Amino acid sequence: MSRKATLGLLLTPGLALLAFGFAFPFVVTLFAPPAADHPDVLGKLGTMLTDSYVLGVLARTVRVAVTVTLVCLVFGFPTAYLIARAPKNRQGLLLALAVFPLLLSTVVRTFAWLVILGRNGLISDAVLATGLTDRPPELLYTEFALVAGLTQLFMPLMILTSYSSLSHIDPGLEDAARGLGASPGRAFRQIVLPLALPGVLVGATLVFAGAVTAFTTPLLLGGSRNRTLATLLYDYANVKLDWGGASAVALIMTVLVLVVGWASGKISAKVATS
Amino acid sequence: MVFLLGPILLVVAIGFSSGDTVEFPPPGFSLRWFDQALSNASFQQGLLTSLLVAAGATLFALVLGIPVALAVQRHTFRGHKVVETLFLSPAIVPELVVGFALFQQLMVTMRITALGALLIGHTVLLLPYAVRVTGASLALSDPALEEAARGLGAGPLRTFFAITLPVMAPGIVSAAVLSFLTSFNNVPLSLLLKGPGISTLPVEMLNYVQFSYDPVVAAVSTLLLAATVGAALLTERLVGFNKVFSR
Repeated sequence: MSRKATLGLLLTPGLALLAFGFAFPFVVTLFAPPAADHPDVLGKLGTMLTDSYVLGVLARTVRVAVTVTLVCLVFGFPTAYLIARAPKNRQGLLLALAVFPLLLSTVVRTFAWLVILGRNGLISDAVLATGLTDRPPELLYTEFALVAGLTQLFMPLMILTSYSSLSHIDPGLEDAARGLGASPGRAFRQIVLPLALPGVLVGATLVFAGAVTAFTTPLLLGGSRNRTLATLLYDYANVKLDWGGASAVALIMTVLVLVVGWASGKISAKVATS
Repeated sequence: MVFLLGPILLVVAIGFSSGDTVEFPPPGFSLRWFDQALSNASFQQGLLTSLLVAAGATLFALVLGIPVALAVQRHTFRGHKVVETLFLSPAIVPELVVGFALFQQLMVTMRITALGALLIGHTVLLLPYAVRVTGASLALSDPALEEAARGLGAGPLRTFFAITLPVMAPGIVSAAVLSFLTSFNNVPLSLLLKGPGISTLPVEMLNYVQFSYDPVVAAVSTLLLAATVGAALLTERLVGFNKVFSR
């Protein structure tokens, strides 16, 4: 068989499924959902972008995602650094512990927060016990709950990607800098940070995209008072049965994620050449 | 770290609680929630559906994905970057959007059943993992082995089964485990692809949590946790956990 024929044979089934089960439905639904009576998605999109409720949801989604990304960076990067500098034979175990939650369902991971933040929950009991206030604090169904839940969800991702680039940095480089007289802080800033940046950037992008598109956690922890784009889409699709509206929200979500991905790629390229 | 693992341990503890509602610390120790979890009909059906879909999708994703990984790693051709990105794309697009799109196109327009749509959707979702992870193990192996086999007179198919496949085995196992777990745990994609008697376990759990507030979900979660840890340990024994994550 000729090279080209072999190649074609190898790629065609996969490409066919992608086209049929992904690309085609995706494009069609985004612009003309079949089940809608008057599928004018772009028109619907126009109305939505001037609707203050939708804009509020959009703002909230971005706000939460940015907060989550920052918190993950602040706590995740140091954790990854510590793991990378730990004795070699411990690193596997530590990494496995940190990353293990990724293997569980989002429902399982989010459910725990219902317990911690609920009316009879852990934090509630603790606060009441210290006598700071005698009303159980309303922690559930707030943005705080969302941020907490999403941070726990995505922290392993940040740790993993940061570790991935940190582990490739030769500790000898830091020692060399120290040997030449640089303070630990300076050595870290000028040696480790720039080299670790690509991995951290990838991690931040993934966390942001994940936080924007997260569904289960906002559904369980945010409630209907704190909608994000994802739960809004679900609301349109399953509750209001407004397919055009759902498609419009889907369009917004997809564009947001693509823009962030593209921007991250540009920044990454710039850092690599500087 | 405590932050990460704490909530999970909490859920396990609640699963063993003897109380009537979800609270911590639990009033006592009891296994009755596990009993309830195991005999709950919708959970049972959910489990069956999830297992079926995860196994089927993993199989299809590997069958379709391994050839793609082969094509990309062992053949250089124009546009191979594009193909690589194409096969990574399902992982980038929001799952909820994909689920919605598949619901509209496959179930509403083409009237494919929920199970069929679930299988197709999950396979698409798993393709990036199948291609990427098996591709990584191919990239790490030496093409000279295959060339040597061909030089000795083995045909392409024989070379594949005797040399390439065994070399890729760790990658295939990793991809299979990762894919299976990803499919099993998925919520957004499976949420809209529901039908009579067909919905995945996480979706059933989600429904339950929204309307009742007792430790049954904690019990189910604990069981899932145990199963996941078991699978992870098994993979570690077979393949070495680090290999799954080093790219």
